[in-house]
Amino acid sequence: MHDPDVLIQHYLEDCLTADEAAALHDLLLQDRALADRLLSHLNLDAMLRQPQPNAEASTPLLSLLPTEDAPAAPLPRPRRFSFSTLTSVAALAACITLTTTWVLNSFIGDPSDEEDTSAAVAVLARGVGLQWRSQAHATGTPLSPGWLQLESGLAEIEFYNGARVTLQGPADLQLISSKEARCDRGKLSAHVPPQAKGFRIHTPQGTIVDLGTDFGLDLSSPQPQVHVFKGEIELHSADTAMLSLKEGQARALEDVSQSMPADAAAFASLSDLSTRTEETQRLQFEDWLTRSAGQNDDPALLLRLDFQDRSDTRTLRNHAKHAAEIPAASIVGCSWTQGRWPGKRALEFRNISDRVRLSIPGEVAALTLTASIRINSLDRNFNSLFMVEGFQDGAVHWQITREGKLRLGIAGRQEKRNRDYDSPPLFKPELFGQWMHLATVFDPERKAVTHYLNGQVIAIVAMPEPFPLRLSVAELGNWNDTRQAVPIRHFSGALDEFTLHKRALSAQEIAQMCP
Amino acid sequence: MNTQDTRAAQLFLTHHDFVKGIALKYAPWPGLVEDISQQVFLEFMGKEDRWDLEKDLRPLLATMTRHVALRLWRDRTRERPEVVQKLADHIRLLAEEHDTPPRYEEEIQRLRTCLAKLPEKSRDLIQLYYYRDISTPVIANQLEMKADTVCRALSRVRDKLRECLQRPHSTGEHAHA
Repeated sequence: MHDPDVLIQHYLEDCLTADEAAALHDLLLQDRALADRLLSHLNLDAMLRQPQPNAEASTPLLSLLPTEDAPAAPLPRPRRFSFSTLTSVAALAACITLTTTWVLNSFIGDPSDEEDTSAAVAVLARGVGLQWRSQAHATGTPLSPGWLQLESGLAEIEFYNGARVTLQGPADLQLISSKEARCDRGKLSAHVPPQAKGFRIHTPQGTIVDLGTDFGLDLSSPQPQVHVFKGEIELHSADTAMLSLKEGQARALEDVSQSMPADAAAFASLSDLSTRTEETQRLQFEDWLTRSAGQNDDPALLLRLDFQDRSDTRTLRNHAKHAAEIPAASIVGCSWTQGRWPGKRALEFRNISDRVRLSIPGEVAALTLTASIRINSLDRNFNSLFMVEGFQDGAVHWQITREGKLRLGIAGRQEKRNRDYDSPPLFKPELFGQWMHLATVFDPERKAVTHYLNGQVIAIVAMPEPFPLRLSVAELGNWNDTRQAVPIRHFSGALDEFTLHKRALSAQEIAQMCP
Repeated sequence: MNTQDTRAAQLFLTHHDFVKGIALKYAPWPGLVEDISQQVFLEFMGKEDRWDLEKDLRPLLATMTRHVALRLWRDRTRERPEVVQKLADHIRLLAEEHDTPPRYEEEIQRLRTCLAKLPEKSRDLIQLYYYRDISTPVIANQLEMKADTVCRALSRVRDKLRECLQRPHSTGEHAHA
């Protein structure tokens, strides 16, 4: 016979066994008063779990506990708290930086969807000097229907039907479907392969239907024009009959009787974009080389791997200048690949055996972990970034959960219990394949764990009782559980930089680490 | 951060407990409320330029919270054993059908007063379990009693707190546990 009080408590602790869940369900079906009581307890439980201002200071003597210093029993792994909000304006204000990022809006989906879906119709394939008036997009971002308002720069947009548009800012382009767009302002050139025949662009002056060709559209000049470089297009407008334009021809859109020779040089070409992209990437790489070397002098830096090591050594040099006691890392299984830019090297993690072994002796009171990563997929329930061997006695586990939460897990010590400090589920398929900079700061003075994505705060989680963290033997991209049957938690993706500081870096320092 | 951002964040903060009350109604599962309120905050701020901050934000926040709650509820429960899913669905139905509107917002203001009225041992139990975050088996071990006894004691303390919250404000009586 189950005691309803015990069942309610186990429900609140989220530790009901299957037998208890069935028993509670039966009792609730029979007893409406018990149902009301359970909901009342849930409500109170939620209120009592709220952080209490000055709770510690006002704590009365704990007369229930024995006074001797007997060590507490090992604590079971809790699942009760996963995300506790700091409810001060300051904490909220810190979170606000996130709100300007492009990440969030993509994830406000229809709650009725059972499976991950995407409304994207195109992808931002490349970009140079992009300044957006509308929501900012990073290279590689899938694009859903809506307006792209480009203030300046060059953006290459690949529609899912194969058409490729190079947009020159300032420009306004509305994505309608995978084979249709509207341009109200700016300049673009389009390459439409045979399989994308029928691709159309609407303008205020009419619609251009492409029959498999290359053409340019200029709505930024006083006299809007369309130029055909190759193949053929149809020009449809309300006032005149459909007009067919062939290679080498150009027309004014507002007065189609005005013809002129097509001028490809007036439009940015794909080769222009390639040249400028390469130049931009080269400058970004050089900038990173200069900036990152400056980090090595920080006395609190215990480990910095830049992944620029020779491929035949199978080790990664630790560049931290004041941590001679921490040896080079050992590569197990991973293969070399390209990192964020041409010339930047990275390690690819694919196989369940792939990992980088580290040895970082001692304990730290504060901790900052940063990594530049590219996620291929989140295949496992827990996808390892930095994992101390085993999980006990203050061990640190930095990982991404299957649902896309960045998690700092800390193993309990003595009477302190295990804790998970999670971000919201941000790492969705739209972000896979893109390089990202992640950082997590464990700050015992502020009693908070802060997660960052690309230099911006994504979560601040309250930390009830800080205690020293244990590092020792650890792995990047995998986990050694020290048991015989090891749960598979390997990372699927690439890593091209990793740092570990024994202090809490500031938001400004984190932002400066991002390209 | 601009003025609009700051204003939006401050307004959200004033409605934080309202959001939690709604979250409890649509996702009555332990530990979910904080996740939901954080997510609603992020989504609210992510589109803050669309909101008219001069209007009453409650209808908007209620809708957003309901959507987020259902989404996170589904994420949290769908991988549970079938028997737990059935229980979870039943409790959610009960919560949605509950006649009284969420009173989280007003009750949390009064909770501290009720806590102060608890006898010392009851207050200590709340301190250990909720504020020091010590689990019931560990409390039981420390006190050399059965874990079920601690569960019952916690349950009774919550019952007393509930009685206190439901009393008229002016009675000033002490809760007993």
